[in-house]
Amino acid sequence: MGLDALLSAVVDLIGGGSFLYLLAGVLLGLCFGVIPGLGGTTALALLIPVTYGMSSLDAMYLAGGVMGATSFGGSITAILLNTPGTAPNAATTFDGYPLAKQGKAGMAIGASAAASALGGLIGLFTLLLFIPVAKEVVLKFGPAEFFLLTVLGLAAIAVSVRGKLLRGLIAGGLGLIFAFVGSDAITGDIRFTGGIDYLWDGIPLVPTLTGMFAIAQMIELALKGGSVAGDKAPDAKTMRISGVGTGVLSVFKNWPTLLRGSLIGTIIGAIPGLGGTVAAFLAYSSTVQTDKDPDSFGKGNIKGVIAPEAANNAKDGGSLIPTVAFGIPGSAETALFLAILVLHGMNPGPAILLYNEREVYGLIVALTASAVGASLIGLLIARWLVLITRIDVGIVVPVVVAISLTGVYVLEGRMADVLLTVGMGILGYLMIRFDYPRLTLIIALVLGETAERSFHQVMLISDGQALAFMLNRPVSVILIVATVITFLLPSLRRVRQKRALVK
Amino acid sequence: MRKYLQPGAIALAALAATPALAEFPMDGDVTFVIPYNPGGGFDTIVRTFSPALEEALGATVVPENIPGASGTRGGQEVYRSDPDGYTIGIFNIPGLTVSEATDRDIGFPLSDITWIANLAEEQYGIAVRVDSPIQSVEDLCNMGAPIKLSDTGVDSTSSITAVIMFDILDCPIVNVTGYGGSNDTMIAVMREEVDATLKPVGSLAKYVESGDLRMIFTLTEDTVLDGVQNATEIGHPELANFTINRVVGGPPGMDPAVVAMLSDALRTASESAPVQEWASGSGTALTFMAADETTAMMSALSEFYVQYKDLLAPQ
Repeated sequence: MGLDALLSAVVDLIGGGSFLYLLAGVLLGLCFGVIPGLGGTTALALLIPVTYGMSSLDAMYLAGGVMGATSFGGSITAILLNTPGTAPNAATTFDGYPLAKQGKAGMAIGASAAASALGGLIGLFTLLLFIPVAKEVVLKFGPAEFFLLTVLGLAAIAVSVRGKLLRGLIAGGLGLIFAFVGSDAITGDIRFTGGIDYLWDGIPLVPTLTGMFAIAQMIELALKGGSVAGDKAPDAKTMRISGVGTGVLSVFKNWPTLLRGSLIGTIIGAIPGLGGTVAAFLAYSSTVQTDKDPDSFGKGNIKGVIAPEAANNAKDGGSLIPTVAFGIPGSAETALFLAILVLHGMNPGPAILLYNEREVYGLIVALTASAVGASLIGLLIARWLVLITRIDVGIVVPVVVAISLTGVYVLEGRMADVLLTVGMGILGYLMIRFDYPRLTLIIALVLGETAERSFHQVMLISDGQALAFMLNRPVSVILIVATVITFLLPSLRRVRQKRALVK
Repeated sequence: MRKYLQPGAIALAALAATPALAEFPMDGDVTFVIPYNPGGGFDTIVRTFSPALEEALGATVVPENIPGASGTRGGQEVYRSDPDGYTIGIFNIPGLTVSEATDRDIGFPLSDITWIANLAEEQYGIAVRVDSPIQSVEDLCNMGAPIKLSDTGVDSTSSITAVIMFDILDCPIVNVTGYGGSNDTMIAVMREEVDATLKPVGSLAKYVESGDLRMIFTLTEDTVLDGVQNATEIGHPELANFTINRVVGGPPGMDPAVVAMLSDALRTASESAPVQEWASGSGTALTFMAADETTAMMSALSEFYVQYKDLLAPQ
């Protein structure tokens, strides 16, 4: 039954004017992706009222176009300006920006485009394979597994900050402190809000991220002056952009990195509440951990672009697993997709594949077309985009600051969000200045809430015997083992290196 | 943050106040405030009603999402607007009623709001796993351990209903809260994390139909589903008082004539074909009540929940 629906969705798309909706979605997604502070969630939230008058399928094509295109769009800003265009691109800055500074921005964008497209395809292919068993998969992941995944994520933080462990822990601790502001998920008590209503719902992610990365980076650039690439670029004088093809090819050469990133992205994508930021971060840190030469990362290793970009596109496929199983969202974007169905008078639930098959497969086809389409469009315009790194920062900074602050305001229409962004920008700049890892803080902020909530739930469910409860669940045991390995891997490597030296 | 909101509210009020010359609703657009993000239940019902309301009223209706602070920010915005009929909002009842009954600051007194109409009402049911040995509420109470129930948050109305209901029945419960949405709470039952969940009948029905859950009880006076116990059958018809309502209100001190116009227009909208069609497709129980009836219901609800103040107050 699935194949019929898939084929008819493809035919629908090629045949009708629906293609225009998809194209509009892709272009809009690229723009919202490129602009720091605006992301896929903002784009979809703004579009929901607009889709009211459309047919539900056209709404799917529009939404799919946006969802598939934003994360590639966001990688462009991450690479060129060290400012992730959307939250899931934060890990791309680690190696993407050093490449841009070396004048290899074309190569990085080429790699990002190919990794995004292929990662998206792998994620959706995995989804199609999983549709028949989606219910069983979702039922295997309960609060115990959510909690252990957050522990794994926090462990990855500790490992990812090699050489700066203490600074990493301080930043992570600060992130956790931020995560616990607002109403307690279990008791409903209001904590650490200082009497400010705004903080009831916690410290919001998008303003924090935009401040920490976009604003902080603009302060840094403004104080430095010059241009991003400087005249280090080998072809600075001729303004010729090269390396895009090399970048695309590098993805095929590093296919294990692509595959690992895509699979991590798909799995994390399926876990509600974690999302693309965590997926990309875990893909990046596991690539660093398992690489023969971990010290080459952070200095412009192309694998450091491939892994997170594959992951943050593959997560869309993963986030649809809980959706096809029970009609529940796996991410903020899929929540908005379900909202569009509700707005069109449908009632998504466990029978979603029965009643809404057309819409679900329509979305899958749209996502596939969008992941590939966005990358193609991106490659076509890469030449001109890269010129941003040659422009004097005196022009870049005011534009980026104005656009990203406006973007933050648009999301909820709250001036307080803008103030928070500026405050986080100053904090972020101090962290750059004193060499504290900013993404560590963001990841801890994302994981903290899920960690706390699911831990409480496990305690309640297991009558206080949390550990015994987890050891009885196979998926939990796998996650515990993975966490232990994550911790041990760096020390094992050190031991091996010492032995090699002695010999 | 009120400090930052006030200038905005004053500016809005000033804008709304200037053209108070012609007759309602000819002076401008009617803003329909939704205190939650686009795409939720409150958003959907407002956006579905809006075109029909526009037609009935003969004025443009603009839905506006003002999310934040558990739905109180949007309510405050309505409360502070000019009572000219050009700003109305939808309210989460009995969520706000309970917050107020337990002395939580929601930023405005609920009793000051001018109630215009009740659009929809949902009743609750209790469901267990399809292969669970439990057949009735009595079975649940006699398990020998506190009943584990899944819910979204302690201040959610279903959670409050569960706490009060099982207190009335004198059965201890453990409320496992923190699930992401009502669907997640039902999946928690399937994962055997909890024994049962108390949720709106319409939401449970989806999972009953798909063969994942089995309904054992409805908090209703009469039988809703064949073979499923109701509140009267267990000797507690008062449990049917627990409902979820989508209530429309406006700022304090609105002109009764304007209220009547809005209320009539909402009734017409509620009876219109597109709204009826949407309701049957989405399993929404449209229960229209005019202004007087709604106001009476609101004060009855306040009295009802105040009785349980001590039970609900955060420790």
